[in-house]
Amino acid sequence: MTTGTSESAHAASFNPVTSLISTTNLTHAYGDVRALDDVTLEVPAGRIGLVGANGAGKTTLIRNLLGMLRPESGQMEVLGRPVSRESLEIRSLVGYMPEGNCLPLDQTAADFVGYAAELAGLPTDAARRRSSEILFLVGLHEERFRFLGDFSTGMFQRVKLAQAIVHDPEVAFLDEPASGLDPEGREHMLELIRRLGDFGISVVFSSHILTDIEETCDWVVMLDGGRIIRSGPIEDLGIAESLIVEVLGDAEPAARWMIERGATVKVTGATLDVRTSGQDAFTLVRDALVATNVGVRRLGQSAVTLEEAFIREAEAEDRDG
Amino acid sequence: MADLPAEAVIVDRGYRHFEGTRKGRRGAMGAVVRDGLRRVLGLRRKGRRKILPWTLITMMLISVAVLSALHYAANQVGVTDLVADELPHAREYFEFISRVALLFIAFATPELLVPDREQGVLAVYLSRPLRTIDYLAAKAMALGILFMAFLLIPQTVFHLLLGVFSPDGFTTYMLDSLDVLWQVPAASLVYFLGFASVALIIATLIPRVGFAAGIFLGVMIMFNGLAEFFVEVADFAGSEYGTLIAFESHPHLVRDWIFGVTSNDYALTRAGLEPWMALAAIIAISVLAVALAWNRYRRLS
Repeated sequence: MTTGTSESAHAASFNPVTSLISTTNLTHAYGDVRALDDVTLEVPAGRIGLVGANGAGKTTLIRNLLGMLRPESGQMEVLGRPVSRESLEIRSLVGYMPEGNCLPLDQTAADFVGYAAELAGLPTDAARRRSSEILFLVGLHEERFRFLGDFSTGMFQRVKLAQAIVHDPEVAFLDEPASGLDPEGREHMLELIRRLGDFGISVVFSSHILTDIEETCDWVVMLDGGRIIRSGPIEDLGIAESLIVEVLGDAEPAARWMIERGATVKVTGATLDVRTSGQDAFTLVRDALVATNVGVRRLGQSAVTLEEAFIREAEAEDRDG
Repeated sequence: MADLPAEAVIVDRGYRHFEGTRKGRRGAMGAVVRDGLRRVLGLRRKGRRKILPWTLITMMLISVAVLSALHYAANQVGVTDLVADELPHAREYFEFISRVALLFIAFATPELLVPDREQGVLAVYLSRPLRTIDYLAAKAMALGILFMAFLLIPQTVFHLLLGVFSPDGFTTYMLDSLDVLWQVPAASLVYFLGFASVALIIATLIPRVGFAAGIFLGVMIMFNGLAEFFVEVADFAGSEYGTLIAFESHPHLVRDWIFGVTSNDYALTRAGLEPWMALAAIIAISVLAVALAWNRYRRLS
C-alpha cells in the first residue's frame, strides 16, 4: 500500500556514496560489432549522465544492467546485487524508460501506468493510487483518462517517464528521455528528472545531447565506440568558466605574471584565456594588468561545455589508442 | 484545535514512497493474465474494441437459449424420439460452438500478442520482474481461461437446462449423463490446443492483428480443402498422411473419439487414419508453436 512517508524522510536515507552500478570487464557484441568493449565502471547513487554519440553503446549498457541482454563476458552489479543471479529482484527495484515507443495506443494513461505498477509487483489498489499520483507529478492529471493514441509526443514522453517511476524504484534508467521534445517540453522533462533526485530516486540518464546532461546530472559516464572514456563527478571534467581578456598592447607580460601565480593562460594575439584553480580569476587578472601596466579593451567570461570536455576526452582516448 | 494559518497556502503534493510488499514474478504474471482478459474482451478500451468479442459471446448465449427452447418444446409435446435422436446434445452442440470458437481464437490470439510486440510495449514488460517464458505463459493462460470459459459456460448452462427440462427429472438426467462431466472439458481442451497452437504460430510471425486473424482462418479453411486432395486425387505411397494438414478437423475427430462416436465426415478418417493420429498431430503442433514463440520472443527481448 502507498503510505504517507514524507519526501524528506526518504531523501535523508538516500546515500550518494553507495555504489549504484558496478561493472567489471563487461563486453557485449552484436555479431562482429562490439557494442561494449571491456567496460569497467563504478558509479555512485545520484543523477548519472550517460553520454555518447548514437551507437556508442548507451542503450546496450542499460539493457545489460537490467538483465534484458546477456553480456559476452564480464560481471555487473546494480544496487549491490549481481545481475547474472538476481535480475528479477533488480527489476522490481528499478524503472526503465525505453528510447523508442513503448506505449499501447488503445489504453488510457491511467490504466497503462497502473498496469505498469502491477507488472512491478504492486497490489492492484496501490497501483491505481500511485498511477494517479505519478500522472499528477508529471503534469498529466487532467489527461489521465484519455487514450494514449490521442497523446502528443511530449505527453507520450511524460507517460513513458511515469511508467518508469510509478512503482517507486530506487533507480530509474532513462534512455534519451528528452528525445523528440520541443524546447519547452525538454525543459519540463529535465526539471522532472532533477526532481527525481530530490525524491531519493537515482537516475541514469542517457543522452547524446550533452547540454541536457550538464544541466541535470552530477556524475557523468562518457562512452565512445563501446568504451568508457571517462567516468566521474561532472565538476572534475574541467567544465569551468574561464576569463577572456583582450588587452591593449603586448599580452605576454601579463600572461607570464599570471602563469607564475598558478593560472593557466592561453594567449592568442592580444587575447588571454585565463583559468584559475582556487583563486578568484577577476582579482588575478586585475592584479596582473596593474603589475604589468597593460590596458584592457574587453573582459568577459567563457564557459567550457561538457561537449568540449567530451571531444577533449575522446581525442585523448584516440591518441592513447 | 491547532491554530490555522491566516492565509491559504498551496502545498505541492510532493512524492510518496511505496512501502508495501512487492509481489515479484507471480504478481507480474497475474497482472499480464488480467490485462490479457481485459484486452480480449475489450474492457477499458474504446467501444469498437468490444464489438467482436461481445458479438461472439452473444451468439453463444443465444445458441444456448434456442437449443434449450427446442428441447423444452419437444418435451412439452412428448416427442421423446426427436429429443433423443435429432436434437443436439453436448457433442453435437460442439459442432456449432466450435465454429464460433474458431472465430474467437482467430482474433483473440493475435490481439494478445501482436500489439505488445509492434507497439514496443515488450520493452516495458521485460524491464519488470518477468522472463520471456513467464510473459508467454501468462498470455497463454489468459487465452486458455477465455477459451475454456467460452466453451464450458454455454455447455454447462445447456446441460443444466436439459436436466431441468428432462421428463425423467433433473437428478435422473444428471446421473444418466455423468460421462459428459469429463467428456466436455476434455473435448474443450482439445479444441483449445488444436486451434490456439496454429493461431499462436501465425500471431508470432504476422505483425498485424487483422492479417493474422485472416491468415489463420484462411489456413484452417483452405487446408481442410487441400486435405481432400490427398483422399480423392493423390495416389502415392503415404499420401494418406497428407490429410494431417486438415488442422481444423483434428479437434472434431478427437472430440468424436472422446464421445465414443465414429464418423466418416473427415478427410483423415476417409484416408484411413486413426483418431489418435489427430491427437498426436495436435500435440506436435502445440510443441512446435511453443518452441517457435519462445525462440522468437527470446530474440526480440
